[in-house]
Amino acid sequence: MTARTLGLGHAGSVVSAICGRGMRRIGARPTLIMPVLLMPLIFVISFTGAFGSLTRVEGYGTDNVFNWMAVYAALQGAVFAGVGGASATADDLENGFFDRLLLTPGSRVPILVGTVAYSALRSMIPTTGVLFVSALGGLSLAGGPLALLTVYVATCGMAAVFCLVGLTVVYRFRTMRSMILVQVFGFSSMFLSTGQVPIHFLNGWLHAVARVNPITNVLRFARQGFLGDITWSLTWPGLVALGGMGLVSGALSLRQLKRLAA
Amino acid sequence: MSGSDKLTSTGANIVIEASGLVRKFGEIVAVDGIDLSVARGEVFGFLGPNGAGKSTTVRMLTTLLRPTGGSARIDGLDVVEFAPAVRRIIGVALQDASIDPLMTGNELMRLQAVLHGIPRSEAKRRCPELLARVGLTGAADRRVATYSGGMRRRLDLAISLVHEPSILFLDEPSAGLDPTSRLALWEEVRRLNRELGTTVFLTTQYLEEADELAARIAIIDHGCLVREGSPEDLKATVGSPTLRVDIDPVFFEATRQVLTGFGPQRPAMEGRVAVGLEGGAARVTEVVRALDDAGISVSHLELDAPSLDDVFAEATGRRLEGAEE
Repeated sequence: MTARTLGLGHAGSVVSAICGRGMRRIGARPTLIMPVLLMPLIFVISFTGAFGSLTRVEGYGTDNVFNWMAVYAALQGAVFAGVGGASATADDLENGFFDRLLLTPGSRVPILVGTVAYSALRSMIPTTGVLFVSALGGLSLAGGPLALLTVYVATCGMAAVFCLVGLTVVYRFRTMRSMILVQVFGFSSMFLSTGQVPIHFLNGWLHAVARVNPITNVLRFARQGFLGDITWSLTWPGLVALGGMGLVSGALSLRQLKRLAA
Repeated sequence: MSGSDKLTSTGANIVIEASGLVRKFGEIVAVDGIDLSVARGEVFGFLGPNGAGKSTTVRMLTTLLRPTGGSARIDGLDVVEFAPAVRRIIGVALQDASIDPLMTGNELMRLQAVLHGIPRSEAKRRCPELLARVGLTGAADRRVATYSGGMRRRLDLAISLVHEPSILFLDEPSAGLDPTSRLALWEEVRRLNRELGTTVFLTTQYLEEADELAARIAIIDHGCLVREGSPEDLKATVGSPTLRVDIDPVFFEATRQVLTGFGPQRPAMEGRVAVGLEGGAARVTEVVRALDDAGISVSHLELDAPSLDDVFAEATGRRLEGAEE
């Protein structure tokens, strides 16, 4: 065979192929996306029902609980989507298909990037579902159509981050069972933020943890367009939080990927 | 990358070479310092029971696993230092057909083409050709989940050939296949070797498969190479044919004593005594008479020419798992 230089073009093709494969798998077996779609829908419906009267408390920030809870549910869906993307890799590792991917003659990094891209893409499905249900509940676009963009950016980013966290664990332990660790971590991270109530409603250690939890900044960034105008002062901390989490989880997952063949 | 210029004693170009190759998993030594070399265009059989270290060796040679010690070269390229370049020239069909059941045959072929950087136009030509060659044209758009075990194996083989590798690693290619599918797979392996000159490194625990396909065989047991050579040469080292006698357990010791007079005892399954019958078939009558004189009732008696199982037994002191199934 002739020698070929496999450069950036090849990397892009691999990312696209891995991402496309994931989406085709959803087409082949829609049940793969059902939990990711249903859980945030259940969240938005149950939380808006349970916490609806909070809007009457002074300082809650909105008179419609959907304006607060929609983003929280969408981000929960994004976490599920991210963990699910990593779970697909766990499945590949367990059934041996991942070996076939590792046999690519190019860099193995596009395999990781393709999985992350797939997770980000699939997170748009629950986000859209949550926004649709919330719209029926009276979700307001106070910040205009840009509000939708911030939600999609935030959810895609969160799905990517939690996919990378999941891949770090999966590359290390190589089993589907290890994903429980990531799910617990994802849930905990979301609960220990301002997902359900504003930060000044939280007391003691919960307040302290939520204040330093980067997800709080992501929530502020994604939620701002439903509570009022979109401002740079709420946008950049959210983007920095996403970028920071992405960098750390990306570095850790790359390290584990390199150790996979060791 | 240039190929290796190393030659075997017969002048053949070496394309797979391992030197003191070791792989440990914690305290467990899966591969314990093996040396081997495979010439270009050769079909090399790597024979051993389950857990002997065959797959671990293949995973190291195909860059999927880093050796703990020693070194290995594929076409002159070190498998650790030049792993991507090695992956470009090898095709690999791993144990248990590593294919995604939710994808179709066509999708998997195209994905493999992308992974190997094959231009789309080229892939469009090669993929249907390969699917046709392995008899899967009609099933190409069906999900792999609907394939039989034999179809999966054939698809796995086709996938591993998409980038036209010059060296092919087949890890237990016919495990779990029915006899018809196994024969078809063997024929395809022979054709690849004969028509395209593909070097084939084949691991198997089936004696017949190694005997049928391989020009040269290495036997591995507990991570160590115990024998290496052509099937004919290896069988010749065993010498005399093996006489196997099935008896009631109460006669076991008496039978063993009688048969010891006819040649060296060889490992056998439970309820059976085996000896290397010196003098060959001509002495079977003598054996029967001696057993009869000793009052031993024999339920079954057979005489086999030396087989690879005898080679394995002679080297390790036990029979290869499943060899007599």
